[in-house]
Amino acid sequence: MHGYLLFVGKRALLMFAVIFFGISAMFLVTYLSPIDPVEQVLGRLSARSNLSPEAIASTREALTAMFGTGQPMHVQYWNFWTRLIQGDLGASLMAFPTPAMELVMRGMPWTLGLLLTSTVITFIVGNLMGGLAGYFQNNRFFKAFGIVTMGLQPIPYYIVAFIILVIFGFLWPVLPISGGFSMDVRPSWTMPFILSVLQHSLLPAFSLVLVGLGGWFIGMRALVSNIVTEDYVTYAELAGVKRETIVSGYVMRNALVPQVTALAMVIGGVFSGTIITEQVFNYPGMGSLLVDAVNAGDYSTVLAVCTVSITAVAFAIFIVDLLHPLLDPRVRTE
Amino acid sequence: MTRDSKPDLLKVEGLKAYYQMNYYGVEREVRAVDGISMNIKRGEVYGIAGESSSGKTSFIKVLAAAIRPPLKVVEGTVKYEFKNGPIEVTTASKAQVEDVRWKHLSYIMQGSMSVLNPVRRIGRTFKDFAQRPLGLTGAAFEARVVSHLARLKLPPEVLKAYPHELSGGMRQRVTIGLATVCHPEFIIADEPTTALDVVVQKEVLSLIRDIQKEMDSSVVFVTHDMSVHANIADRVGIIYAGRLVEEGPTRQMFFTPRHPYTAHLVASLPRIGDTTQRPALEGRPPNLADPPQGCRFHPRCPLAVDKCRQEVPPLETVDVDHRTACWRWQDVKPLVGSAHPAGVMA
Repeated sequence: MHGYLLFVGKRALLMFAVIFFGISAMFLVTYLSPIDPVEQVLGRLSARSNLSPEAIASTREALTAMFGTGQPMHVQYWNFWTRLIQGDLGASLMAFPTPAMELVMRGMPWTLGLLLTSTVITFIVGNLMGGLAGYFQNNRFFKAFGIVTMGLQPIPYYIVAFIILVIFGFLWPVLPISGGFSMDVRPSWTMPFILSVLQHSLLPAFSLVLVGLGGWFIGMRALVSNIVTEDYVTYAELAGVKRETIVSGYVMRNALVPQVTALAMVIGGVFSGTIITEQVFNYPGMGSLLVDAVNAGDYSTVLAVCTVSITAVAFAIFIVDLLHPLLDPRVRTE
Repeated sequence: MTRDSKPDLLKVEGLKAYYQMNYYGVEREVRAVDGISMNIKRGEVYGIAGESSSGKTSFIKVLAAAIRPPLKVVEGTVKYEFKNGPIEVTTASKAQVEDVRWKHLSYIMQGSMSVLNPVRRIGRTFKDFAQRPLGLTGAAFEARVVSHLARLKLPPEVLKAYPHELSGGMRQRVTIGLATVCHPEFIIADEPTTALDVVVQKEVLSLIRDIQKEMDSSVVFVTHDMSVHANIADRVGIIYAGRLVEEGPTRQMFFTPRHPYTAHLVASLPRIGDTTQRPALEGRPPNLADPPQGCRFHPRCPLAVDKCRQEVPPLETVDVDHRTACWRWQDVKPLVGSAHPAGVMA
């Protein structure tokens, strides 16, 4: 137990290091970027109203003081961190003066909900089917399933998403194709709202699962078809151990170890993958927010989205990492 | 010996088991087991020897009722006379085979390093393997396993360990424990000592012998190591190119071999103090997809005559319990002159 705590401590340190360097790199990129937030806001303000040159000069001064862009880099960096720790990433420029963090927090439940469920469903279904297909190699159903998922695998995600959109939105319009919930329900913890959310998330989740399945399926099937030739599986079969025990406790259980490691790597990629999903299905999550912010040159919102996704990905990988020694006794530190 | 008084536990008659493969329309047949007949008595240790790719592993796969495509039994019967009734494993249904597994017929597999599930504690594995055949649950089952482990000089803590936490010798004892905890009547041991050093090897051999005596089980012991056979087997059978070429009581096989192949096998063993070069056999075992005509050993046999090239020699009884398949068995001389061939304990 002591060893496990030590392991958790080491991994946690590593996670904080990853978050620190990720966010620092992000700060550096925005610092070096030629877009000046002060000019951005000024441009926006003067486009809408007639401001006297004196008013512009004083606004510029006020904005420079607010953004702190007049200070040297290390001071800015220090201020950035102290404010970040308080959860303050400044005001959004496109929705001035709403704090950027608030916009992100509004989008986060949508993105996390969609991502978590679709990733978990993909992982479970893909591995289960792949495992069974690897064990029962002559089963027609699993063979057919493999052909379908592997056929979908090489098609670019946005094309699959559009095809789904066309099929279920226009040819056979049974599901809503846009938005996070219906216009006629108010966001609250009521049954109609929850049902509406579920209904709206079906298509984006389905598209993510469909495209993700193939990878897990192929990986797991290859792993399992190797593991079934391992001596311990042959031996258990010779001893007349129950087939369910062999499939779950001997074959799948051993194949799960590398698959969980792979899960950690997939999680790293899903946040960027969701941007396309949310665009195609007009889903109100962080991906849509990021695209809007980039288009509007709203750099504090971009920073906020990146900060949150860096933290979320590092944390998810940390959790998966902690599972690894529980799955494989050989990496447990005693 | 007492051997004659005991009934046969296993009868193999004219067994032919081939690997039948079909690669994109090209048929290929490997005759791994090609007409083997033998009997094994209750309480007997029978050693099977033969070089790599001689068909011995295929043969014991059939004995263990682990016949899977592409391996197929083409002809012959393998019949066990277990206490709960006879069973013919080449034709028995899956359920019938499952019924005798582990309780009556068990198996010690080659390579103790990899036969245990790396992510399962030993105790769980014991449950998977032995709970159903023993018909015990909970504390009674645990007590049975612990007392059996004690006999193998393994502490009960082993049950809580994972395979990688045990030494090679301990792991081998665990697999022997797994195979014997149900007191099977027939144990097939496939190279159980091959990966072990000589000290552990000796320990494991005497362990198998002790347990076998205690439970009066029969053991089929497969290894290419003739010195192991000299130490443990009551009888030894030599398999060459899918056929049984000679079988007999262990001492006779070592002192008066009646097949030139056996004579060479015995002569190949090193002996203390003897620095002369061992007589070696030219060539390699035949391709079983296209075996030679007549006696399959003739291309490598120094005694071969025309008859050997055309006619298959039958297994002839040459002494009590001693059979050989050689046209010229009377001319076979032991290649080592000494009264103490290597490996045989006086």
